[in-house]
Amino acid sequence: MIANAEALLKPLTIKGLTIRNRVMSTSHAPGYGRDGKPQERYQLYHAEKAKGGIGLTMFGGSSSVAIDSPAAPWNQISVADDSVIPYFQQFAERVHAHGAKLMIQLTHMGRRTKWDTENWFPTLSASARREPASRTIPREMDKHDIRRVVRAFAAAARRCKEGGLDGCEISAAHGHLVDQFWSPSVNQRSDEYGGSLENRMRFGREVLEAMREAAGDDYVIGIRMSGDEMIADGLSHEDCVEIAATYARDGLVDFLNIMGGQARDEMSHAVSLPNMSFPVAPFLFLPSAIKREVEVPVFHAQRVTDLATGARAVAEGHVDMIAMTRAHIADPHLVKKLMEGRDDDIRQCVGAGYCIDRIYVGGDALCLQNAATGREATMPHVVPRAAQARKVVVVGGGPAGLEAARVCAERGHKVVLFEKETAVGGQINIAAKATWREALSGIPRWLYAQVQKKGVDIRLGREASEADILAEAPEVVIIATGGLPQHGHAKGHEHIVTTADVLAGRVQPTGAVLLYDEIGGHNAASTAEVLAKAGCLVEMATHDLQIAQEVGTTNKPVHLRELYKLGVVMSPNMELIEVYPEGNRLIAALRNTMTEAEEERVVDRVVADYGTLPVNALFEALRGASVNDGETDLDALVAGLPQRWSGQKGFALYRVGDAWTGRNIHAALYDSLRLCKDL
Amino acid sequence: MSVGAGLAFVILGLSVIAAALAARRARLWRAGQPAKIDWVAGLLAVPKRYLVDVHHVVGRDPSAARMHALAAGGLLGGSGLALLAGLTGSRLVWAATALLFALALAGGLLVGGRRYPRKPARLSGGKFQLLPFALVAYGAGALLVALDAALGHALAPLGWIGLVLAAPGGGWLAFQIGRGPMRHAFAGALHLAAHPRPARFDGVSETALVPLDLGAPRLGVATPADFAWNRLLGFDACIQCGRCETACPAFAAGQPLNPKRLIQDLATAMQPGASNKAYTGSPYPNARPVAGIGGPDLPIVGAGAMIHPDTLWSCTTCRACVEECPMMIEHVDAIMDLRRFQTQELGALPEKAGRPLAELRYADEPGGRALAARTDFAAGLDLPRLREGGHADILLWLGEGAYDLRHGRTLRALVALLKRAGVDFAVLGEEERDCGDLARRLGDEDGFQRLARANVATLARRSFGRILTADPHALHALRNEYRAFGGDYEVIHHSALLDELVAAGRLPVGALAEARVTYHDPCYLGRYNGEIDAPRRLLDRLGVARVEMERSGRRSMCCGGGGGAPVSDIEGDARIPDLRMGQAKATGAGIVAVACPQCSAMLEGVTGERPAVHDLAELVLMAVEAAPVAEAAR
Repeated sequence: MIANAEALLKPLTIKGLTIRNRVMSTSHAPGYGRDGKPQERYQLYHAEKAKGGIGLTMFGGSSSVAIDSPAAPWNQISVADDSVIPYFQQFAERVHAHGAKLMIQLTHMGRRTKWDTENWFPTLSASARREPASRTIPREMDKHDIRRVVRAFAAAARRCKEGGLDGCEISAAHGHLVDQFWSPSVNQRSDEYGGSLENRMRFGREVLEAMREAAGDDYVIGIRMSGDEMIADGLSHEDCVEIAATYARDGLVDFLNIMGGQARDEMSHAVSLPNMSFPVAPFLFLPSAIKREVEVPVFHAQRVTDLATGARAVAEGHVDMIAMTRAHIADPHLVKKLMEGRDDDIRQCVGAGYCIDRIYVGGDALCLQNAATGREATMPHVVPRAAQARKVVVVGGGPAGLEAARVCAERGHKVVLFEKETAVGGQINIAAKATWREALSGIPRWLYAQVQKKGVDIRLGREASEADILAEAPEVVIIATGGLPQHGHAKGHEHIVTTADVLAGRVQPTGAVLLYDEIGGHNAASTAEVLAKAGCLVEMATHDLQIAQEVGTTNKPVHLRELYKLGVVMSPNMELIEVYPEGNRLIAALRNTMTEAEEERVVDRVVADYGTLPVNALFEALRGASVNDGETDLDALVAGLPQRWSGQKGFALYRVGDAWTGRNIHAALYDSLRLCKDL
Repeated sequence: MSVGAGLAFVILGLSVIAAALAARRARLWRAGQPAKIDWVAGLLAVPKRYLVDVHHVVGRDPSAARMHALAAGGLLGGSGLALLAGLTGSRLVWAATALLFALALAGGLLVGGRRYPRKPARLSGGKFQLLPFALVAYGAGALLVALDAALGHALAPLGWIGLVLAAPGGGWLAFQIGRGPMRHAFAGALHLAAHPRPARFDGVSETALVPLDLGAPRLGVATPADFAWNRLLGFDACIQCGRCETACPAFAAGQPLNPKRLIQDLATAMQPGASNKAYTGSPYPNARPVAGIGGPDLPIVGAGAMIHPDTLWSCTTCRACVEECPMMIEHVDAIMDLRRFQTQELGALPEKAGRPLAELRYADEPGGRALAARTDFAAGLDLPRLREGGHADILLWLGEGAYDLRHGRTLRALVALLKRAGVDFAVLGEEERDCGDLARRLGDEDGFQRLARANVATLARRSFGRILTADPHALHALRNEYRAFGGDYEVIHHSALLDELVAAGRLPVGALAEARVTYHDPCYLGRYNGEIDAPRRLLDRLGVARVEMERSGRRSMCCGGGGGAPVSDIEGDARIPDLRMGQAKATGAGIVAVACPQCSAMLEGVTGERPAVHDLAELVLMAVEAAPVAEAAR
């Protein structure tokens, strides 16, 4: 049991609204909205957290109050008209049924959005200053714009109340319209909305006053804001404290939801959503400082990944509620597990940022290590027991194999897990060797603890043979033997070593190294960091437009920052065409993908990431004896039905994860969960 | 003079000596305080109390029962009949006398067989080791005399040899009436007549502490003379059989408490110029040094007195010693009287025990937490409140455990079950003060009475059918100890109510996955309130394979959580809950079912591989959720 757990499990009452504990999830935009409405998927996602014991779950990050703050680019929610109210009512009912409270975030994004979407209106702001992140130049708001947006906020607040939501907050964080007015980095106005801090606070004040009037004094309205913009021409910590203290003192807000930084460009965006390279709770000092100055409750989210840290933050009085948003994406039942004394069973967020990174490229939020999140309609967070216990053999203790073993064990099956290495984890163990990517090791650590607890017969250090498997008389054999790194097809590829060779320590390059990346993921970028830190002179080349092209927006800036700091030469748009030895060194030939001009490098090592291909010898050996020739019924998988070979005499053979085809950790887990939940 | 008459004369003489010694001993009791005793009823009840109640306890060890029946029956019967035979000279009566002495001789041999060649640790040595010789000598000698007399002196010289054997044997026994092994015989008989808790012989749970008169010049007991006289009598009834010592959890854990030694120290302390040197039983484990001296008006507790304070505070008030005592001694009452003086008059509590009492004074709650926070555990559950003037069928008394994370889980399960069963229930919320159990057991009678009165007043302003609680300590206070303050309630433990609800089909249950369960009886439910069946019936209704621990029911072993022991925290060799969990583990059960917040806290604190700890309410909820008709999860 963690220390200070009782501090987390104490109810909090705000204006007569009693929240059952101090753990919450902040409003975010998982990309589950449809037609601007929170529909079934969105609702079930939050209902699962409610079922899991959370006190307050807030949804609808950046929900729009007006039609010139488009909701479409995020698959988000529009509160700009009354048609959303029935959805709110249904949503509130679902969450309240499990005893949790539900709130929404309302905003006008101002300049922080696109003009070329839903309605093709110009973007708005206090002044015509371009935002690097959205790359739009906004129109300076007229007085009538201000009046209209204020009215829109008020109408949205009324809709929240009518929709049965327990409250709402406005976003004045991450560079939305209200904080665009506050921040001198944007607001250049000379009228009563610009100049002094008091004037810059006017627009937000009018918004909150109008919302109060529309929703009534008893309705809980809060604000999400930064405690320090951390840019030279932005709001200082003192400015933020003053804004918070003033709004709170004047009764405009019932709670303050404080974060650190802003998000106007790539790096500040990454800092405001700290990934695994950051320490835990890096900005806790900001809400703590503001809490000293105000009487209203203070909330805070930012990489609080474990309950112990959250409990400390509450017990020591830094905050009144601790928001564990990504932690709930990894495990929506974390409060329940704490209350039941099962905190060891909590699947802790590792800070991979996979959830948030997906939504910035138009995808839906999914958890790198929990394939059920966001798929509550089809994937169980608590796997039910099967009617009939089966004998299952899983080969491979990487993420796919561990998840298959876990889900089968939860189903009540008798499971044997073979792993040829002496430790489970598979390729994650290799990836986790790369400096700040170490936290990835938490993924197999949790899975391994679960399979041990569920009584899986784990055979480590044993490469399973065909005979070993048949000796178990299995009904199901799941091949999760993973993949092996490839050396590519360039001429002289035999002179190339892989990123896995470097990270696993099989090769320790020195001198000049050319690192060639054909995947664009974390592997090459983090290997470049490892090599540079080991003293190598590193050039990183890729045929993509950019280094780490496939890495998401909260992680890529961290890679680039580190590579720049270490003096790694970055060469995008270059294809490796040949490697050959010359003396005791290597010549690497590169071709520019745009100009086709060829260049040569004299290096001591060529390291490359070409991804993996499946390890399939065992699969091929077994398929003849299997009842299904190793086939997976894709339609049944998607329909959530058992594979059609169930119950036949003999064993059915399936492949999951990189043994099926090399993808990523989430794909490996999803393969296993959706196959095994119906076995 | 015939040898038979000689024997009768010896018996008569020894009886006079014994009576004189007994009277001299009884004079010591007069130092004690007066006690109200219904002598007529008490004396009339002695045969029943002896033959039924005492025998019930003694009979748990059949060999001991046999031994005592032969030795005591033979000795007293033979001696009485010998007087008659001596008077009448009837050979037939002498024959019957011979038979009885033969039984006495057999009893004496059994006494010897128990102590030789090796004396069990729980039995005292010293004079007790001579007892079988005296019994055999007297029994065998008297047997020879009686046989000789019955056969018309056919064994002539043997009869005289018998008398020579019987006289010193009987003499030794008679001279042990004052301070030796035979004291138990007359003090025990008188104790049955003048017992301070006569109702315990009427088949009711007579376990409530008697309220202290807070206006008395001295609160609690400082010296032997402060005890009621029949309490002193009770100490003298001890035969040092050591059954209490083997039952005592503190003794087992190596804490400095041995109930047998405690009673002996109290019996010794009432003598002027007393010294504890004569004691020959097993000591207090890890005994703290004391002067070991006392007297009727000298302090009992203290390093310079007879009993070290750590001995007093090691007690969990579990009443296992009382349950085991064949002489019906009330050890826990004695400890409570002594604690009351330490706390109320001296403020001399163990360091950590003072804090909760101070918090209770200021906050009505031993953790110093807000009363409103008692319902924190149920935030989001929509717990109905019973306001002034309101009514509910069931008033749910939450107790101290509501503040505890672990027990909160139990209470949430209970609330969920009550809701499912459609029970009309409510809680007092911030109007519920601590029940005062902790204060009372720590000797803070003033604190207890204040809380009891406040709670009685709160309850008087509300209407309800029954009080339900998952805390046996609260149950005991509310059911038995509030009556003295005007609170007369029907109080039901949650195990009994859940049993009712499941039996009535209001909570349909399915089968539990973990099927092997052992039930740990809470002392305040089992021994204090006699409720040992309902929890077991309830478990049986869940379809689990119920296995019993070596000690269960009324003879169950304490978890170590009662009597303020967790806050007194007297150091020993082991932790009581570890010992208890060892017994649970030995059953092979996967789950230890508990029914008390103290038990769950103590047993959950046991580290390492062990069965899971679940309150009955949690198990019922699991079974209800496993029921086939359960509504589909949303």
